[in-house]
Amino acid sequence: MTPDPLVLVIEDDANLRQYLNTTLRSHGFRVEEATTWEEGKKLTLQLGPDVLLLDLGLPDGDGLSLARELRAVSRVPIIVVSARGREEDKVLALDMGADDYITKPFGSGELLARIRVALRHSADPSAPPPSVVEVAGLRMDFLMREVTMNQKPVRLTKNEFDLLAVLIRHAGQVLTNGQLLQEVWGDSSRAHATYVRVYMRSLRKKLEADPTRPRLLLTELGIGYRLKPDK
Amino acid sequence: MPSLPAKVPGATPDPAEGAARKRMRARGDLRKLGVAISMVALTTGLGFVVYHYLGLADVMMLYMLCITVAALQFGRWPSLTASVLSILALDYCFIEPRYSFVLTDMQHIGTFAVMLGVGWVILGLVERIRTQTRLALEQERHTRTLYRLGKVLAEGGSVAAIRLRVEAYLSQELEVPLAVLLCDGKGRLDDAETGLPPEVLRTAQAALDTGVPAGHGTETLPQSGCLMLPLPGTERPQGVLALLSAMPPDRLGLLVPMAAQIALAMERSSLARERTEARIRAEHEQLRSNLLSSISHDLRTPLGTITGATTTLLDPGPQAAPGDQKVLLNTIHQESRRLLRMVNNLLDITKLESGLVKVKKEWTAVEEVVGSAISHLEEQLGSRPVSVELPEIWIPMDPVLVEQALQNLLDNAIKFSPPGTAIEVRGWVEDKQFLISVADQGPGIPVGEEELIFEKLYRGTGGAAAPGAGLGLAICRGISQAHGGTILAQTRPQGGARITMALPLDGVEGMPPDLNPDFTP
Repeated sequence: MTPDPLVLVIEDDANLRQYLNTTLRSHGFRVEEATTWEEGKKLTLQLGPDVLLLDLGLPDGDGLSLARELRAVSRVPIIVVSARGREEDKVLALDMGADDYITKPFGSGELLARIRVALRHSADPSAPPPSVVEVAGLRMDFLMREVTMNQKPVRLTKNEFDLLAVLIRHAGQVLTNGQLLQEVWGDSSRAHATYVRVYMRSLRKKLEADPTRPRLLLTELGIGYRLKPDK
Repeated sequence: MPSLPAKVPGATPDPAEGAARKRMRARGDLRKLGVAISMVALTTGLGFVVYHYLGLADVMMLYMLCITVAALQFGRWPSLTASVLSILALDYCFIEPRYSFVLTDMQHIGTFAVMLGVGWVILGLVERIRTQTRLALEQERHTRTLYRLGKVLAEGGSVAAIRLRVEAYLSQELEVPLAVLLCDGKGRLDDAETGLPPEVLRTAQAALDTGVPAGHGTETLPQSGCLMLPLPGTERPQGVLALLSAMPPDRLGLLVPMAAQIALAMERSSLARERTEARIRAEHEQLRSNLLSSISHDLRTPLGTITGATTTLLDPGPQAAPGDQKVLLNTIHQESRRLLRMVNNLLDITKLESGLVKVKKEWTAVEEVVGSAISHLEEQLGSRPVSVELPEIWIPMDPVLVEQALQNLLDNAIKFSPPGTAIEVRGWVEDKQFLISVADQGPGIPVGEEELIFEKLYRGTGGAAAPGAGLGLAICRGISQAHGGTILAQTRPQGGARITMALPLDGVEGMPPDLNPDFTP
């Protein structure tokens, strides 16, 4: 039997740590805590946690730089915890290698969902990607390059297919515009910065009943997009 | 800061120029002298004819005429010369013994004295008339100059604007390089800004300190080549009118009242500005204290509820029934969310008002913005229908900010309309603007409050006791304005309020993304 997944919480506020610790333990996680930049780095290397919860506002250093340093030495999924209105920081952290973010204040449902998605994506990076993925009525066959929505075939252009493929492979995870451009077009130059939005609009028209209340292709304004995972 | 005319070196009078003027005047006098002498010669020639036919008395009258004309026409020295020459010529050519200056008849001395006297008196009269004419002309010019200056000053504006206009008008009117130098509240000249030579500034400071004109033609520093007139305010001196080259001393009579007029205008302007500033400060203070009292109330209320509910739950004594515990926990949750919204709004309005918000416009798919706003309010919306109607075009906007505004508009619509009634979100393009409106089926906006509701802390009088600090619509207006747009509140004909934001369709370079020629679907 594999041990419970270990979450390392790098957070300087004692009450928030307390809340995270209690909540996560009651949902079957092991929890370790670090309160500073230095301690966070040390414990990450020592304990090899399965997920990192990293507050961007640490007292003794910039959480962004910690994310970058840790990413250089470890593949551990990093979930960045940050305040509202710091969209640039979040995008920076994500582009630097963080896997996801969560905005303070957050509920436990949202937190657990993020952690589960991160764990799922880091489970076995060496396994070959599945040739067929199904999420919330959407079925994507990568070999045949076929897409069905609720059993009905959907015709997508090459770029639409590629974009959807990236999103569905990272289901539940946020992807910045830059990451999507890089994955689909192989460059994130500004010339194509708005392409993602154009294809998202056409994808939504083909896959969503009401584009203003998307159930699948969620917008994270100022940051990027997220394909909503199954429960 | 106003710069001085490039002619500042002319601040000291040009000696060559003065000498030239003197030479000119001397040449004029010389010419008049020549004419006067010629007239005496002509009279003498004519005298021989008259003497031959009429006699000595008429020759004398002829010389009288000559002297009179000379006195009327040629000014002091030429006419005196003419008088003396006339007497000498009369004596030599016509009075016995002729062709000698010897006088035998003493009665002729009287005649000569009368001739000189007449010349003198006429000269005096003419000079007086000339002086009076000149004075009258001068007076008229003064009046005209002062009148025009008054008009220039009446345009008002800031002290700096007055200063620029005065400098422009006076340097043209007086035909000298000049500057208006301002001083600080302590009566020190602001010398850094003018770039004037130090001795000029010393003279200016002297005028400012003594309160009387200084420099050329005055008792203070008369060796200075410039003339400084203090600008006396009623309460404190305003500065100095600096004439950077020498002026004829008689112009002082004009310059002093001009300086007084300028000083008054400047004082009026700075007093008006101080009054406006004081009023704005007071309003600001008032607003801040209102904000503070309102915020502290609005923050304390939910905190009170949360504290109360948690103490009940933590009470070691009798436990609340499990159903009640759930109710209390729900209350805590709702009040925390309310607190969060309020804190967010406070931060937003503070950022907007302090100009920290930078609008980053980009081609935006509006449905993403509206969708995001709706999803943020999912909990409050509950099962309320929201109908959305948007054009499928690209709109230049800052999506994050507009979403904030829409969240506030939706939040308002939820608060001010009966539960379960529909909310409409509509977007359209009109007159090079993108308009987006949120409408509800509530009581609408009380007549006359369509503007007021966008004011900070305004909660409306429509009866609905609205929770919140009255910041939401102020934030929406701030965001519209930051986009260069406007916001409008109406009561719809069929009832219910509609708030419409209008955002200009500009601010983004290039074409909308799918019209880009590089674009491949």
